[in-house]
Amino acid sequence: MTATPLIQVRDLVKEFDGQRVLAGVNLDLAEGDIKVVMGPSGCGKSTLLRCLNRLVEPTSGTIHFRGQEVTGPGVDVRALRQGIGFVFQQFALYRHLTVLGNVTLGLRKLRGLRRAEAEQKALHELDRLGMAEHRDKYPGQISGGQKQRVALARALAMDPAVVVLDEPTSALDPVLSREVAQLIRRLHDEKVTLMCVTHDLQLARSIADQVVFLDRGVVRAEDSVARLSADHPDPQVRAFFGRETGT
Amino acid sequence: MNGWPSFWRDLLEQMPLILAGLGQTLQLTVLVSMTGLLGGVGVFYLTLSRQRLVRRCTQGYISFFIGMPLIVLLFLMYYGLPQWGLRVSPFWVAVLGFTLNVAAYNAAYLTSAYNGLDQAELEAARSQGFSHRQVFGLVTLPQVLRLSVPALTNQAILNLKDSTVAFLIQYTEFFARMQELAATNFQFFKAYLLAAMVYLALVSVIVLAARAVEKRVAIPGVHR
Ligand SMILES: Nc1ncnc2c1ncn2[C@@H]1O[C@H](COP(=O)(O)OP(=O)(O)OP(=O)(O)O)[C@@H](O)[C@H]1O
Ligand SMILES: [Mg+2]
Repeated sequence: MTATPLIQVRDLVKEFDGQRVLAGVNLDLAEGDIKVVMGPSGCGKSTLLRCLNRLVEPTSGTIHFRGQEVTGPGVDVRALRQGIGFVFQQFALYRHLTVLGNVTLGLRKLRGLRRAEAEQKALHELDRLGMAEHRDKYPGQISGGQKQRVALARALAMDPAVVVLDEPTSALDPVLSREVAQLIRRLHDEKVTLMCVTHDLQLARSIADQVVFLDRGVVRAEDSVARLSADHPDPQVRAFFGRETGT
Repeated sequence: MNGWPSFWRDLLEQMPLILAGLGQTLQLTVLVSMTGLLGGVGVFYLTLSRQRLVRRCTQGYISFFIGMPLIVLLFLMYYGLPQWGLRVSPFWVAVLGFTLNVAAYNAAYLTSAYNGLDQAELEAARSQGFSHRQVFGLVTLPQVLRLSVPALTNQAILNLKDSTVAFLIQYTEFFARMQELAATNFQFFKAYLLAAMVYLALVSVIVLAARAVEKRVAIPGVHR
C-alpha cells in the first residue's frame, strides 16, 4: 500500500450554467481498491467520473492522480486519459471495427505497437474475458453482455492505473448483471484498481464492502450497504437505500 | 422521320470530336468528384474545429456556395476575373468552380451523417486518449464516409449532369459537341436523343459502381 492514494479528490465543484452539480466532493481511492459510488439519478455521478479524466472541466477543487494535480492548465490530458480506463454505460464500442479492432486501436495508435504485437496483447485480454472466439465479429453482431466484456478488454489492454465503470449493469438483464459483478470481483482479486458508479444495490453489495453515497453534489455517507439502509441518521440516505431495498 | 443516312454520316464524320468531348466530360466529372470529395472532407473537418471562429467561417463557406448558382460562379470567374487581369482557361475555371461548389455540398452531407453518429463512441475515443485529429481520422471519418455513400453518389451524378453547364464557358465537352452535330444537319431529335442515352448510360455506371461500394463498406450488424 502506498501512502498517497491513487486518486484524491478534494472540494470538487462543477457548475453547468450556474447550476451546481458537484458541490465539493471529497474522495480517496487507494491503489488496488474498489470504490462504489451510488446516488439518485442526476446527483452528478457521471459528472464526477468525467471530471477525473477531464472529459468535463471542473469549476474548482483539485484532483490528484498518482500524486499529481491533474486539473488546471499545462496537464497532459491525453496521457492522463490513457492512465484511466473508462467503460461507458452503453459500452460505446467503435461500430466500424471488429471486436479485435476495438481493442487493438489504442494499442497501435496510442502505444505504437505493431499490428502483430497489438493483436497478441488484445487477444490475451479478450481471452481473459472469454471473448477471444468473437474476435472477428462487429459490435452490431454481439449481445449487450458481450459488448460489456469487449469494452472492458479495450480498457484493460491499455494497462490503465484505474478502471472506471459508469453504470456497468444498467443495460443488462439480472443474469448478465451477476456475471458482471463476478467479473469485477475477479479484477479486484487481480489487484486492478476500480471505481464503479451504479444504481444497482445488488451489484454494489456484491463487489464492495463499503459504498459512497453521493447526493446533491456532495458525499453524504460512506458505509456498508446494510448500515446505510437500516439505521443511518441522515433521512436522505435512509430514503435512498430503504426505497431500493425495501420490497 | 427520316434523314438517318445523313445523320449517321455526320455522326461518323464528327465522331473524333464527339469522343474528345466525351473525354472532356469524363475528365471534368471524375476530377471534380475527387477534388470535391477531398475538399468536402476538409471542409467537414473544419466544421468540427474547436475554434468557434473557424466553425463560423466554415458554416459561412458552406451556406455561400450552396446558395450560389454554379453558373453564376463560373461566369464570375471566367468573364469577370479577366477584368482584373486574371485569365484562367475554361478547364481550370470549371475545375475550381465545381470544386468549391461540390465541396460545400459534400461537407453538408457529411455533417448530416455526423449528426447521426453515436456521440458516445467519439467520447470513448477521446477518453482513451486519442487526439482531436485521431478521433476524426480513426472513428468519425470512417463511419461518416460509409453512411454518406448514397449522398456522395448522388453528388457524383449531379457532377456529370452539371458538367454540361461548362460549355457555357467555352469548355467543349460532350454536350457542346452534340449541339454542333445537331446544328450541322438539323436532326435535333436524333442528336439529343443520342446525347440523352449516353448520359443515362454513364449515370447507370455510377449507380452500379456505388452499389458495389456500398455493399463493400457496409458495417456488419448495422442496419439502416
Ligand atoms: N454537459 C452538460 N451540460 C449541462 N448540464 C449537464 C451536463 N452534463 C450533466 N448535466 C447536468 O448535471 C446533472 C448531473 O448529471 P450526471 O449525468 O452527472 O448525473 P448522474 O448522477 O450520472 O445521473 P444518472 O444516474 O441518471 O446517470 C444533471 O442534472 C444534468 O442535467
Ligand atoms: Mg450517469
